Amino acid sequence: MKSKRKWLAIPGFLALAAAAATLSAYAGASSSEGNAPAQPVAFPHTLHAGGNLKMNCIYCHYSAGKSPDPGLPAVGTCMGCHTTVAIDKPEIKKLAGFWQRKEPVPWVRVHKLPEYVHFPHMRHVNAGVSCQECHGQIQNMAVVYQQNSLNMGWCINCHIGRSNPQFKARYDCATCHY
Amino acid sequence: MATIVRPVDEPRRPNIATADVQLPAVKDYEQVDREIIATLHPTTAWFIGLGVAIFFLIVGAAAWIYQIYAGLGVAGYNPPVMWGVYIITFVFWVGIGHAGTLISAILYLFRAGFRTTIYRCAEAMTVFAVMTAGLFPILHLGRPWKFFWLIPYPNWRYLWPQFKSPLVWDVFAILTYLTVSSTFLYIGLIPDIATLRDKEKNPVRKRIFSVLSLGWRNSDREWRHFARAYLFLAAFSTPLVLSVHSVVSFDFAMALTPGWHTTIFPPYFVAGAIFSGIGMVFTIIIPLRKWFGLKHYVTINHLDAAAKLCLFTSLVVGCAYMQEWFVAWYSGIEFEKEFFANRIWGQWWWASVILYTCNMVLPLTLFKQSWRRSPTWLFILSFFINLGMWFERFVIVVPSLSHEFEPWQWGGYMPTWVDFAILAGSFGWFSMWFLLFIKQLPVIAISEVKEIIPPKLRKQHDHGIDSASRHLGYEPATPGEAS
Amino acid sequence: MSAETEAAKPGVKRRDFLKVVGATTVATTAMGCSSERVEKLIPYLVSPDETVPGVSTYYSTTCRECSAGCGVVAETRDGRAIKLEGNPEHPLNRGALCAKGQSALQGLYNPDRYRTPMIRKNGRLVAATWDEALTLFRQKLTETRGAAANAVFINRHESGNFPSFLNTWLASQGMPAALSIDPDIDHAAIAANKQSYGVAWPRLNFSAARLIISFGADFLDGWGANVPQQLDFADARAKLETAPRLIYVGARRSLTGLNADHWINARPGSELAIVQMLGGSVTAQQASQASGVDVAALTELQREFAAARPAMVLAGGASPRGMELCLAANALNQSAGGGATIGSSSGINGFEGIDSPSQLRAVAQRMQAGAVPLLMTRGVNPAYTMPKSSGFAAAMAKVPFKVSFSSIPDETSALADLVLPDNHSLESWGDAEPVRGTLSLQQPVMDPIFDTRATADVLASLGTAGATYRDIMIGRFPGGATGLAAALPRGIASGSTSVLVPRVAPAPVVGQPGNGDFFLMVYPSPLLGTGDGANKPWLQELPDPVTKIAWQTVAEIHPSTAARLGVENGDHVTVETVAGRLTLPAYVYLGIRPDTVAVAAGRGHSEAAGRYARAGHNAFDLLPYSEDRSGATSYSFAKAKVTKDGGFSRLVTTEGSARQHGRGIGQAMTLAELAQPQAHESHGEYPGDASHEFLPGLRSPTANDAQGDLGDKGEESKEKGMYDPKHWSGMAKHRWAMTVDLARCTGCSACVTACYAENNIPTVGADWQGPKFMPDRTGFGANITRSREMAWLRLERYFEGGEDGSANFDTRFVPMLCQHCGNAPCEPVCPVYATYHAPDGLNVQVYNRCVGTRYCSNNCPYKVRYFNWFGYGEPARAQYAFPEPLNWQLNPDVTVRGKGVMEKCTFCVQRIRDAENRASLEKRGLEPDEFTTACAEACPSRAITFGDAADERWTVAKLAHDKRAYHVFEELNTFTAVVYLKKVNHPGAAATAAAATAPATSGGH
Repeated sequence: MKSKRKWLAIPGFLALAAAAATLSAYAGASSSEGNAPAQPVAFPHTLHAGGNLKMNCIYCHYSAGKSPDPGLPAVGTCMGCHTTVAIDKPEIKKLAGFWQRKEPVPWVRVHKLPEYVHFPHMRHVNAGVSCQECHGQIQNMAVVYQQNSLNMGWCINCHIGRSNPQFKARYDCATCHY
Repeated sequence: MATIVRPVDEPRRPNIATADVQLPAVKDYEQVDREIIATLHPTTAWFIGLGVAIFFLIVGAAAWIYQIYAGLGVAGYNPPVMWGVYIITFVFWVGIGHAGTLISAILYLFRAGFRTTIYRCAEAMTVFAVMTAGLFPILHLGRPWKFFWLIPYPNWRYLWPQFKSPLVWDVFAILTYLTVSSTFLYIGLIPDIATLRDKEKNPVRKRIFSVLSLGWRNSDREWRHFARAYLFLAAFSTPLVLSVHSVVSFDFAMALTPGWHTTIFPPYFVAGAIFSGIGMVFTIIIPLRKWFGLKHYVTINHLDAAAKLCLFTSLVVGCAYMQEWFVAWYSGIEFEKEFFANRIWGQWWWASVILYTCNMVLPLTLFKQSWRRSPTWLFILSFFINLGMWFERFVIVVPSLSHEFEPWQWGGYMPTWVDFAILAGSFGWFSMWFLLFIKQLPVIAISEVKEIIPPKLRKQHDHGIDSASRHLGYEPATPGEAS
Repeated sequence: MSAETEAAKPGVKRRDFLKVVGATTVATTAMGCSSERVEKLIPYLVSPDETVPGVSTYYSTTCRECSAGCGVVAETRDGRAIKLEGNPEHPLNRGALCAKGQSALQGLYNPDRYRTPMIRKNGRLVAATWDEALTLFRQKLTETRGAAANAVFINRHESGNFPSFLNTWLASQGMPAALSIDPDIDHAAIAANKQSYGVAWPRLNFSAARLIISFGADFLDGWGANVPQQLDFADARAKLETAPRLIYVGARRSLTGLNADHWINARPGSELAIVQMLGGSVTAQQASQASGVDVAALTELQREFAAARPAMVLAGGASPRGMELCLAANALNQSAGGGATIGSSSGINGFEGIDSPSQLRAVAQRMQAGAVPLLMTRGVNPAYTMPKSSGFAAAMAKVPFKVSFSSIPDETSALADLVLPDNHSLESWGDAEPVRGTLSLQQPVMDPIFDTRATADVLASLGTAGATYRDIMIGRFPGGATGLAAALPRGIASGSTSVLVPRVAPAPVVGQPGNGDFFLMVYPSPLLGTGDGANKPWLQELPDPVTKIAWQTVAEIHPSTAARLGVENGDHVTVETVAGRLTLPAYVYLGIRPDTVAVAAGRGHSEAAGRYARAGHNAFDLLPYSEDRSGATSYSFAKAKVTKDGGFSRLVTTEGSARQHGRGIGQAMTLAELAQPQAHESHGEYPGDASHEFLPGLRSPTANDAQGDLGDKGEESKEKGMYDPKHWSGMAKHRWAMTVDLARCTGCSACVTACYAENNIPTVGADWQGPKFMPDRTGFGANITRSREMAWLRLERYFEGGEDGSANFDTRFVPMLCQHCGNAPCEPVCPVYATYHAPDGLNVQVYNRCVGTRYCSNNCPYKVRYFNWFGYGEPARAQYAFPEPLNWQLNPDVTVRGKGVMEKCTFCVQRIRDAENRASLEKRGLEPDEFTTACAEACPSRAITFGDAADERWTVAKLAHDKRAYHVFEELNTFTAVVYLKKVNHPGAAATAAAATAPATSGGH
């Protein structure tokens, strides 16, 4: 009996391994999920988008409503306020440094889709999908991190109206892949 | 008590299609064990052979790595010829992989006795050939690291393979066939492994054998279960012999391409596969029986019978070739007609010549008994058959693609060294496994050979002998039974 | 690239690069999941008001690739130009653009461009700063003050204000006015036109003519203003009932010749005799003796010419008597056309004031004599375009100081002592006057990529007025800055410029034809012109419309000649003239006289001209230098010996078989057949008639592949998801489709280049892109010798008839692209669903899902799927097709395909999505014809129409039901979305009589 069990262990182990692989594939585990890189200037969305300022996202990400690309605030935009506001803060000093050196700030990208995926921001924004739907409660993020997996299945769930029926949209491959 | 029979001479024209194949030169069980187990001792020649095989394997592997790095362009593809040596070789090896199961399963069900001494070898060949074939669909991919997308597994993307695609059917067909044929091989091996276990001195090997033999004790109950299981598996793998190559043929038959799009492909491919398989069996068994001194096991009679089967399949294949021509003419499709004209008078005429000569003309020599019974000729012929069958696939794949609907895109094809290196590598891979096999496990089924030793030779003992040639105090009705 | 420029390679200016990258990371890195890479997002420093990241901005400007001055609209994204389209408002090209014009982008982004000024120090050109360079230039100018009158400035001819500005500046330096040179233009014709019509190049009014006889006037091969002539010709031919019949007289069938209904293969230089015969001054017998054409054909021509009124007679002068020929032809044209066939005053103004090549020869003589102290060249490359025998390049050595304003290295600038690289025309201000009284404005569409300066600005800064050329332009412009700003969006404004007066041509030099039993024809390549296109991979990769040869120079010989010499395609033949010899692979071409050998010019540049231009051989080396009365260089007069040479090299051609084998791919019919009554629903009323139930738009996409049931099965069919026309997504309501009118298509291949530009298609022919991996293939075009070209849209050129080597064969040009079958063979065989059928009728290829089994291509009857063999889109690879900064041109909306995936025409799905996005932003549906594909947009003969066939408001929906409509391989039930309209042949009276009895010549069915 004992020896029998011993030799049963091998296929059993293999079966477990296979199951694990399948499950992880099914769950769509994402290596970039939760990725929160350090930025050249520690920009707190909590203060700007959240807190009591509650700036509109579109103020800085000015083309999110009219372009596939959300747009990043030009350094000039930041300096619009920060020539007067909080100029003594170390991070603002960094920012001012960039401004004086006439260098753009090399922000580190957090939310990245592969190049073969086309994500037109304006289509989503104008359809009433809030920024938070994809980017998470970004106004509460001191350091921005990727909250959702941004996996294909995650997109599909919305497009087929499973996760959020009112946002259902076409879901054939060529909607995003071309 | 078994009846006592007078010794008989080998009949001039033995009816070897029946079970009573005679091995006059084999005296008793000890001799069987002794002689067959003797073949398991590695020799220098064997080591050299293994070295050569592994060398070719490394060459092929290196070529593949280079191809993955540089891109598929290093192979000789020349659009519109998008498939080339790899698919040709894939089909070639799958074909080789058919004779084994045919001989071991179908002939078993048909009670064709001559299979007894050659089936083990053929079956091992089958398993390794399918293992080889299985590599090619992966290494001909543009992005081989994504091959698992062909396997249906539940995934978060809600994506499945295209179940209409013959390539997906291939995946299933090959995997099933590999599983079943290797199981069949293993089951058949169990009693022999037990024998090896009992004879083995080296404790490590003894341990391994005892594990692999699943504690075979040669009991009546075990034999009954064994016979049932073997019969069941034989019945189970018989349809596979037909299905697998039919599915492979769908890769072509399902396409629009003139020269591919034809309903005759499944039977035609299966016949061709068995034909090539038997060819490969000759290529392997004939040197083996010489080097391992097994001529009195694998007798001329066996070869003769196999040669008849070979001849038969060759005729079937030849008939299929003719059929293709007829259909091309009868269908009246201009593309089809023009393609077949091109097959003979076009740029690939030489390939067709090789194909028809090797597969239709040369095997006709087997109508003459003296040629059938000449191992030398069979050995030479077997090479032509392998060549011819490879070129059959070449003629199916390359000229069809190079001469398709769109004349502006007609092209040529010339493989590069990468194609040939990987082709050679596949032979290295196959030979490596086979060489390893023949020195670890008996290449002739010990237990089954013992079944066909003429009963009279047991008479010199007044009692039975079990598989470990331990003397028993009585004469069992079933050889090797102990209870 | 040459060692010099390699030494001086500071690369693109980093700051500018960041600026152009802008706030977006474009999808131009190779396909493959790279989400792990840390990526920087670079915002603007101060965001420009007018641009939105990720949204294209369009600037209208002027094309400077030839002298005509077409209007282009440059699409720029985040600060870089990514695509050129024709300017629909422009009087010349009316929205179309030729392959040359498309490729201006590759001049702009050419990796071999001068990146800084260069100064010759001990024998080599080395990089320098502008200060150094300009100081040196000033110094040299002062040094030559005394002899300034002998200084020579050779300028690439252009209309507009720059020439006068240049001449003013030269005058201020005491120098003579600049030579205004255009090597591509037929100067004999211009000189003759000046005499006959008073304009350099009248507008050719094809639609007025009933018969066109062209004596070597290749008005579709870049003879004159390519695009407008093609538009007019196609329009004329599209009016089927009144379409003019075209007869081509010449020794070789050029693209124009292949578009002709009839070919009279006269000896080179003998056209004059035939013109005179038509004029009545010479008998048919004499003409026949001179031209080697049998009398019957000539008398038939006579009769036909006499019958057809108004008729148009055109002649191109490449022979020593070119001007006489053109004059005679013009006279004939006046009488036969009654002036109707020639647009009166309104001409192609861009060709006014071009100096004859003989001026260059004269300069060469003066240089040889050491009389030229200072030579300045801008945009011209006489060291290459002037045949060796003219001794121009050699004479340059005698000039103490040579300045080049070229923006890209070439043979001439390589000999210069100082290079002051000009901005590319897309980076600089300027204007042209394409039509008298209309200015076509030229504005920079992006910041200069390299450290270059517009020559105009340089000269301005050196001159008295320190202003920039832009200021000068504004100053001259009515309404000043505001007026200019108002005019720029349209790109054209009324106004005129002072016209240059060409110098009188010196007495012509008549060269020795030498002896030999062959006439040598050197002709400017329709794509590369006389060589300035050679450094652009798109033009090198684009197969010649006639020979279908790319990256290679071949000797074209007639089948019978080939048989006599015992050569086949690719066998080397040695062509020898008094001027020199070349060993070239032979190309056996039906459309050439047996006693003539033709070689295309434009290839075979020296190392100096960059990495691409080296391909092929230089045909000019064969030319003994000779001029006609107008001072034009004679290209076809020399005699040559042609002998077989042992060698062989594969033809770099995309041509598999030039015969249709009766498969009806390119079908044709005659007016008579068209007139026959027919029932629309029935099939085969006349040969090759499409059975109309298969036409797109009549049924929603069948989507057999995806949903199993035909789309129109109604209720009893199973759930069809988005394939159900009633589905909420409404996708199945569309059926994207295309019609290709073969009666319009001239085979010019502009659509192919447009496709390359729009869809980031890699060129694969460069010599570093394959041979290393394919030992059996070497040199330029190695990949193409394995048919691995990637052209999603290819132009097939089939011959019908003429198997016996006779001259009367018909040519079918078939643009072949993915047919987007409703029932596509490629779809069910893909094991991973990488290709599938979209509900709106697209046959979609999902690159990132493709594993590369290539089964789809095997199963595609049209063979329009292309496999990425080497990862031409991956920057790290040896075969990378877009060396910096060529990759700046890549379209951000289209994935750059990586190694090992299948790719194909997508019907420009990115444009469809873009239109849908715009529509949804404006809360509306798609408007009919509101957008189109790149090929259709560029097509200079307007043969391609794209749209939604399921919505009859679109033009394509109407065209798809034309009487001439058919599907290729319809019998395969692929339900293609591409509908071809049959070519319409105009056989002569005699042929018509014959055809009345015999069945139609259309292939197939």
